[in-house]
Parts: sequence; structure tokens; C-alpha cells
Amino acid sequence: MSLFLRDYLTVVWFGLAAVLLAGLLLGLAAAVRPSHPNREKQMAYESGVDPVGMGWSQSQIRYYVFALLFVIFDVEAVFIFPWAANIERYGVFGLVVMVAFIVLLLDGLVYAWKRGLLRWV
Amino acid sequence: MIFAGSQSVIAQINQWVAPTIDWHALAPELVLIVGINLVLFIDLSLGAAKKWAMATLTGLVFLAAFIPVVTLAVIGDASREMFDGRYVVDGYSLILKAIFLLAAYVLVLMSQNELEEGGYYQGEFYVLMMCSVLGMVMMTSARDLIAIFVALELLSIPAYMMAAWRKRDSRSNEAGVKYYLLGVFASAVLLYGMSFLYGTTGSTKLTDIGASLVDGDLLGLQVLAVVFVLGGLAFKISAVPFHSWAPDTYEGAPTPVTAFLSVASKAAGFVALMSIVMLALAPANSVVRPMLWVLAALTMTVGNVMALRQTNIVRMLAYSSVSQGGFILMPLVVIGTGNAGDSVLRAVIVYLLIYAFMNLGAFSIVIAVARRTRSGEITSFGGLFGYAPGLAVLMTIFMASLAGIPPLGGWIAKFNVFKTVLDAGDTAAYVLALIGAVNTVIAAAYYMRVLRQVWMAPAPDGDVSPIKVPSSIQAALAITAVGTVLLGVLPGLVLRFGDITDLTGALAR
Repeated sequence: MSLFLRDYLTVVWFGLAAVLLAGLLLGLAAAVRPSHPNREKQMAYESGVDPVGMGWSQSQIRYYVFALLFVIFDVEAVFIFPWAANIERYGVFGLVVMVAFIVLLLDGLVYAWKRGLLRWV
Repeated sequence: MIFAGSQSVIAQINQWVAPTIDWHALAPELVLIVGINLVLFIDLSLGAAKKWAMATLTGLVFLAAFIPVVTLAVIGDASREMFDGRYVVDGYSLILKAIFLLAAYVLVLMSQNELEEGGYYQGEFYVLMMCSVLGMVMMTSARDLIAIFVALELLSIPAYMMAAWRKRDSRSNEAGVKYYLLGVFASAVLLYGMSFLYGTTGSTKLTDIGASLVDGDLLGLQVLAVVFVLGGLAFKISAVPFHSWAPDTYEGAPTPVTAFLSVASKAAGFVALMSIVMLALAPANSVVRPMLWVLAALTMTVGNVMALRQTNIVRMLAYSSVSQGGFILMPLVVIGTGNAGDSVLRAVIVYLLIYAFMNLGAFSIVIAVARRTRSGEITSFGGLFGYAPGLAVLMTIFMASLAGIPPLGGWIAKFNVFKTVLDAGDTAAYVLALIGAVNTVIAAAYYMRVLRQVWMAPAPDGDVSPIKVPSSIQAALAITAVGTVLLGVLPGLVLRFGDITDLTGALAR
């Protein structure tokens, strides 16, 4: 076996351990716990409230815009944190690049704002 | 051996130094980025009545980005490398940048009226188009797997949206969704192959990968990597058997977008393929060549045979562009045999340039005629010579050029391809050239069928009032027609590109 594939052996052991451990714990629990199913218990769990309607329900399209806007800030954070942690090492070059990056990302926010997508209509 | 330079990320940060940026070499990209922001913000503040200005502005941005390309070419330094040779501006990338910017300018001219009259989102369309062109311009300089992948996504993602631009038309939606799903799938396959390449060679830089692959001693994983990378790129250039998205997407998308996909987007796929095959996979020729041979032969033949059966002009042009892709693949098959290095580059680049002119021209005619006839059927071209002789003559030029008839550009393109393949001089190359020759004859049949409608058939609805061609489409037609004819009658003009198409660090020459 080549050195390259050997590295993947770790992954295989890790996967095996995960399956074994999960199987062991769940199996053990199933063996010792009492089982008295009824209608109430088998209902789908929805934040403690009785579920309403079918599984395939339409959701409000407006949330989609917020999901997209969230991505703008999320991506920004992912790259700003490591940069901020080493800001003196990256110096002026890093600052210029980061400002350009933020401006390009904010384009999306400004666009959404000017198009009125931030209003809850 | 595998991760020779592996070090913890924290330790690497302390060795970090700011890369030196060659601003002149990056100028085309920077102009485009500024232009994208400019158009986006001006569009937000303009009233609906002034939206026509967006097309003009976008055209100006493309022309402005052209200026640094010209100055860089005139100065003509050997090559300018940035980021440790991962982003290179050399003769090869400059000529391709020029092709993309020129094609983009013609495409703006073609889209203008369609978008204005359809009341589509003009500002957004041009912003997305510029983003996509930025990706293509970056692709020409990218010499690193990651840079290539970023450029590929930057050019594809806006194109997915542009394909679905007529959002109330279900066929346009279908076009967008099909293109998106298959495009994402292809990207995943490509990325998977790239991860194998990185895993087995320890570098993402194309020339480093080329240096660590050993011909005749490839690992199983490396063979798999080559197959996946070529397969992923074959989707982008719609090579058979990865072409199934192309006809539906081309037919459903708005016609200017179809022209964009079939010319610019496809050419960018070829650029990625060329860079990877010539720089990184040159030692893996024993895998690359048979695979490309099969792809080229299948693409030409299947594309042509399917095009014969089409009755819709856009669908016919879609299959024709699939089969033209097969011809562009042909010279890549003989990479690494004898003295084929330079002429392979030249053959592919010349073909891409001429193909851009003639295909954009053909689509401009389709747009101009469909404005009146409101139909995509080939029969709707009946009697065109009677009421629009100018358009009929131009259509003849473009169709004859696509078929490869001598005094026109398409002939020079095909001539170069066949010459390169035959120069290689082994049996596989001869057989491929034979398949190509047969396909040239088949292709002539369906191009001529359109011309028969144009010159001989009567107008289908008896409406023979002249067609008004908007000035922007007239300009697009003028540029493409002059390009098609000039490159055909003055082939010396084209062959001089051979002098400036050095691909920095290519091993296969």
C-alpha cells in the first residue's frame, strides 16, 4: 500500500470507531430502557408544540433574502478574523486588500438596500 | 514524499511577505472590477427611462479594459509573473484577453435592443456579464489549480443566471436550471480531480504538477485525477458525451445569452483545458491523448449528425457549436508529438478567434431576423434575400465560414487545425484528421440548408416589408463580418499570432 493511501487508514479507523461507538451506545440504551409507545409520543417533535399540516409546507420566500444577506456578513467574518489576528504582519498590503474585499461584499448589501429588499413588505 | 513542505499554518504566517503586484499587468482586470462597481451603482440611481445608458457604459468599460491589453502587448516583455508564477501575463494570455474583451463588446451590442425592448433588468444583466468576462480574463492568466477554479466559477455563476434571464418564460427557466445543475456537477467532478492532483503531487501550481508527474509511472490516483479533470472541463466546452445540457440551454436562453455561452464561455473552457493540459498534464500524455482523441472524434461526429436533424435555427447552431468544439479539440490531441507544441497553441487560438467572429455574426443575424419574424424555425428565413439582401449576404458569409469554405476565416481556422494534426504524423492523428474531413462535409450540408432557405425559398408568411436593423446590431454585424472576411483573405494577419502566443513554462514544446 502506498504512503498516500496509508494516510487514509486513519480515516478508516476513525469511521469504524464512530460507527462502533454509536452502535454500542444506542444498542445498550435500547436493551435496558422500557418501551411503551403511544400516539402522543410518536408525534414529530416541533419545539414542544403540536405539529400542524404536512411535512411539505411552503415557507415564506422573504426569509430567502435574509439568508442571502446573512452570507454577506458570514463570509466577511470568516476572512476578517484571521486577518485581524495577524494585522501587523500583513501591513498596508493586507489593509488595502481587505478594504477592497469588504467594498466588493458590501456591493451586495447596498444593492439589496437600494432595491428595497430590506423592507418587510 | 507526499507533503514535502508541510508545516503548520501558524508557522507559515511568520514567513509571509506581501507579494509584489505588477499593476500594469493587472490593469485589464482592475478596469473591469471598477467598471462592475460603476455600472452597479449608476444603475441603482438611474430612472427606468435612462437604463439604455447601461449598455453604452458597459461597452466603454470593455473598450477601456482593452487599452492596457494593447499597451502590454506593445511593450512586449517576455512575461510578467505574479504570486510565485501562479498568475502570469504573457503573449498567450494577452491574445486571449483581447479575444474575450472583443467578443464581450460585440455581445453588448447584440444584447442592447433585446433587453431594452423586453424590459428586462438591464443594469443587473450587464453587471453579471462583466463579472463573467472578468472570470474569463482571469482564466487566461491563471496558472494554478485554485486560480483556475476561482476563474471558472466566476465566469459560470453569472452565466447560470443569465441563461434564466427571461424569468416569466418557463423555457428560459428550464435552460437556467439545466445549465446550473450540470455546471455545478461538472465543477464538483473537476474539483475532485484537482484534489487528487494536489494530493499526489503536493502542489497546486501547474508547472510544479507537471514537474512531479512521471510518464509511464503514474499512480492509479493520478490517472483518475486526469480523467476527472478532463471530464469536468469537457462539460464546460460541451464535448460529447458531456454535451446534453447544451441544446436545451441554448434554445431556452435569450439569444444574446446563447451567443455568450456558445462563444465566450466555451472559449474560456478551452483556455482552462489548454493551460492544464500543456503545463500540468504534459507528462501524462499517455492518458490525456487517447481521452482527448475520443472526445474530439465523438464531439465532431455526434454534434454534426444531431445538427442535421434540427429545424430550429438556434438549436441547429447549438449542435453546430458542439461540433465546432470537436474541431478545436483536434490539435490538442497531438500535444507532445515532435514539433507540435507551438503550432497546437496557434491552431487553437486562431480557431477560437475566428470562431468568435463567425458564430457571433450568425447569432446577430438570427437576432435581427427574429425581431421581425418572431420565430426560431429555419423556414422563417425563407425569402430573406428578397426583402433583406444585406442580411442574406452576411448570413451567407457566416454560414460559409462556419462550413469552412476557402476565402473566409473559417477555412484558415480549419486549415491550421488539419495541418497541425497531420504534422504529428502518426496513425492516430491521420485517422482523426480523416474523421474531421468527413465531418467537414457533413457540416456543410446543414449550413447550406439554411442558405437554401435564404436564397431560394419564398417568404413563409408572404410578409416582404424590409427589416429594420437597429444600429447596435448593425455595428455588431459590421465587426464580425469584417473580422470573418479579413482573417480569411489575409491569413498572414492570423499566423502572426504564432509569434506572440508563448505559453510561459510549457513543457510540451
